[in-house]
Amino acid sequence: MLACGLEMLEALAIVLAVGISRRFRDSLIGAAGAAAALALLALVLGPVLISRVPLEPLRVLIGAFLLLFGLEWLRKGVLRLAHLRSPSSSFKEFVEEQEELESLPLPPPGQPDWAGRTIAFKGVLLEGVEVILIVTALAAHPSGLAPALIGAGAALIAVVGIGLVAHQPLARLPETHLKYVVGIVLSSFGVFFAAEGLGVSWPGSDAALLYLAAAFLAISQLQIHILTRETEREAVAV
Amino acid sequence: MSETLRQLRKLVLGETWTLPIGVACALGAVGIYRLLDDDDTWWHHAGGFVLLGLVALALTASLAGALRARRR
Repeated sequence: MLACGLEMLEALAIVLAVGISRRFRDSLIGAAGAAAALALLALVLGPVLISRVPLEPLRVLIGAFLLLFGLEWLRKGVLRLAHLRSPSSSFKEFVEEQEELESLPLPPPGQPDWAGRTIAFKGVLLEGVEVILIVTALAAHPSGLAPALIGAGAALIAVVGIGLVAHQPLARLPETHLKYVVGIVLSSFGVFFAAEGLGVSWPGSDAALLYLAAAFLAISQLQIHILTRETEREAVAV
Repeated sequence: MSETLRQLRKLVLGETWTLPIGVACALGAVGIYRLLDDDDTWWHHAGGFVLLGLVALALTASLAGALRARRR
């Protein structure tokens, strides 16, 4: 839910920026078009994966996708917490997008704003593809469909709620830490599923997810510590 | 169009090549080992920790790359 929520939040920042700088109608038309394209992608991708691919290779595939997403979020989280990268902020993205859009001329009233629609469509589509891949990967695990869909649905409701009262709450979210935690969770699920697909039986069964998350937390905290010390040493040397 | 494709690649594979290559190497190495090894008793119980170690190495390599890029 958290992973989907954070992706949707980034899409929301783009839709809000387009709506405020240009017209909400065009922004929502663009976003609705992207949502329709994403629904089509989910309808095709989910059943094809579940019905055509055997269970063991499917688990490796799911694990690989979750590892790709999880480790990337974890890498960025470690770099941000070690002050080697600027903190994550959908609010900052929203402001930057808004400034960029204000420079584009707006068509006369009554005429469609294709620039605004295209930007909203592209933003929602790109962020949504990641949501679809995460939900499809989690849903492909036996007994995973309902929790994955409930999580994604809850995330959508939460993000729409934020959107209705935005944009101040957007600025207050501790996104860097949330994304770091999501990185740990997705990486743990990734190792868990990939190893199961490769014939591993985890000690403690599903409880393995807890010690995998603890291991990723310990490894990443050690890396944050080492990177912070390294940059402090460089700063002193300069 | 090429910008959209570039962004899609970045979303799926990430900002660096180190992580996708590292994940592919980790999964490929254990996959090949599983094909070649007949006795999979120890793998059945401990293989997951080997994969965890390889994945941690991939993450460390990607962070080292980021640190090197910053020094340049």
